[in-house]
Amino acid sequence: MSEGSNTPGPVDPGARVGEGSDESRESDPSAFTTSSALRRVALYGTVLALVAFYLTPIETGLVTAIKTSEAVRTTLPFLPPGPDGFTVEKWVYAFDALSHGMVNSMLFTIPSTILCAVFGSMAAYGLTLVDWRGQIAVLALFIAGIFIPYQAVIIPLSEFWSIWMNLDERLAFLWALPLLEPHHATILELIVTHTGYGIPICTILFRAQYKTMSWEMIEAARLDGASLWRGYRRIVLPLSVPMFAVVFIFQFTQVWNEFLFSLTIIRSVGDPAASVTLILSGLGEALEGVDFPLRMAGAFIAALPTLVVYVLFADQFAEGVRV
Amino acid sequence: MARTELDHVTKVYAESAGSDVVAVDDVSIDVADGEFLVLVGPSGCGKSTTLRMVAGLETVTEGEIRLDGRVINDVPAKDRDIAMVFQSYALYPHMTVRENMSFGLEESTDMPDDEIRERVERTAETMDIGDLLDRTPGELSGGQQQRVALGRAIVRDPAVFLLDEPLSNLDAKLRGEMRTELQRLQDELDVTTIYVTHDQTEAMTMGDRIAILDGGRLQQVGTPLECYHEPRNLFVAGFVGEPPMNFFEVNLTDGALVGANFEYPLSEATLADVRGHDELVLGIRPEDVELVVGDESRSSGGAETGHDFRTTVDVVEPLGNENQVHLRFVRGDGADEQGGRGGATAEGERTEANAEELVATVSGMRQVEPRQDVVARIPEDAIQLFDRETGEALHNRELESAEVAEPNP
Repeated sequence: MSEGSNTPGPVDPGARVGEGSDESRESDPSAFTTSSALRRVALYGTVLALVAFYLTPIETGLVTAIKTSEAVRTTLPFLPPGPDGFTVEKWVYAFDALSHGMVNSMLFTIPSTILCAVFGSMAAYGLTLVDWRGQIAVLALFIAGIFIPYQAVIIPLSEFWSIWMNLDERLAFLWALPLLEPHHATILELIVTHTGYGIPICTILFRAQYKTMSWEMIEAARLDGASLWRGYRRIVLPLSVPMFAVVFIFQFTQVWNEFLFSLTIIRSVGDPAASVTLILSGLGEALEGVDFPLRMAGAFIAALPTLVVYVLFADQFAEGVRV
Repeated sequence: MARTELDHVTKVYAESAGSDVVAVDDVSIDVADGEFLVLVGPSGCGKSTTLRMVAGLETVTEGEIRLDGRVINDVPAKDRDIAMVFQSYALYPHMTVRENMSFGLEESTDMPDDEIRERVERTAETMDIGDLLDRTPGELSGGQQQRVALGRAIVRDPAVFLLDEPLSNLDAKLRGEMRTELQRLQDELDVTTIYVTHDQTEAMTMGDRIAILDGGRLQQVGTPLECYHEPRNLFVAGFVGEPPMNFFEVNLTDGALVGANFEYPLSEATLADVRGHDELVLGIRPEDVELVVGDESRSSGGAETGHDFRTTVDVVEPLGNENQVHLRFVRGDGADEQGGRGGATAEGERTEANAEELVATVSGMRQVEPRQDVVARIPEDAIQLFDRETGEALHNRELESAEVAEPNP
């Protein structure tokens, strides 16, 4: 901007002698407007190009999902199908195929998300707002827990559940109860696994917020007669609602989209406990070729719950991120 | 209500590097039931740590803290029946004023809900915050938050009331009002109160007694006037009083105090107090310095005692009710030391030799101009003498004059 206004207009040096100041005052703004208009065009052009760049895959996915197999072959991927190439049949099929996987995924995602948040918050309280010896060492363990790669644990993990724990036999007495089925043992295994894996990162997230809390306020609660637990329950917990939203969204997305644990613990797409990601991985795969519209429709259906969670907690999330 | 005793209390923080930091060193204070004790000292003197040990927020390294004779060193904070007001108020931001005030009663007693409600409302009325009960702390001004914080502590009717610099976040006018109100409240409630502040004015005006701490050590415990007129050492003398006491480094030679700018002859009685100490500090309160003009000095006896000194006015700070006059000693030309003493040291040097200045407080009605020459009289019955090495007070101002300063005969 300063560059534009400093650049002298195309003024005859001779003319400037007499009325220099007036001339330059008039010519500068015009030079400024031209260059700023150009700048603006360039800016909008770039923004539009970026929007197109980022939205094209999604748009392509959407239009592909509503095409018939015939239309996929005859039209360009990102162009919508003609009237005879349009169908919602793939969505219906994908929904049928994924629905029980969605139910299973919900069954382990929701509990483990809640457990992660609750345990993470409690652990953070104990590690941040309570003073005791050796808490740094414990905190170091939590931080280390974040960096354990999934690949490193999948074999011990599947051994642990299938050989050592063997939940579906040990809990056999439960399966006679209404609403409970043997495959819920696998769901339970997934809940515990995801909770264990999610607690460290949730703890660190909560700790970041708790460190900003007034230490004097915690002390005031103690002097007011509140025990450690009551101080958490009545002071810290209500104040960490925004952070719970952040953790819910984050953890729900993580667990819902997770594939490796599903693969190793559930093992087969045909298992009644199969998760949505596991079923999705095999959806539309066939000897005669990949059914792209079906895969796309399935992908959108599988992504829907995470979007819903984000929308539900968006306000709280914004507040939590600010903390 | 309870008597609170600190018996040789010491707090040591073990640093990771191996060096220990002694925050509070062997402090013993006995706070009587219903007494208002002010712990005062410069920042980092250990006053807050002392208070926090009484509250149970810090452990006691050595010594005992007793509440009504019962040792409470190991009683957790929540069971001590102590209420505390923090400097930051520490209100619970997600609760309304009513919930803030009820919290302590709900957590520490089995009181039924109606009774809690009634008590909170009654206290809120006393504190003049009855109409704020349904607001949250975020909607209140600093002064209102301060009242809520006090109300929250009062409503619990604790055995001991601890206040940690509760007024330091208020503006000067509000602070003055709250000072009076706190005193009134404490008087009405008659609860043992320990009040921490770094502000000596608060200490002087509010406390039944004040305890002055420096570097973790207790310097003096006494009524405000005792500490003011009979400071036990140099630190107390300099800390209490505004503007602070004037100090001059002097040596005792030949029955007189010889400073950089003056000589001050002492009477036999005073000499007896300082016998055996040569390196001294002379202290005089600004309001005890008299300014005498011209001939007056010769007729009123200052000349004979040698306690009049020629000075030049440097700066005048008018406060309306009084003027604070900064004076510089004038030397040489035989104009000073009417007694003729110190001629040997004075010769050769010329005027205003030293940065040492003397502050005098005079009536606000009295006209004093900068660069004016005045004679400052330092009456011997108002001087304090301290050992320069140890800071220990050797001679306090004479008691008769101290008693005159007190309102009751």
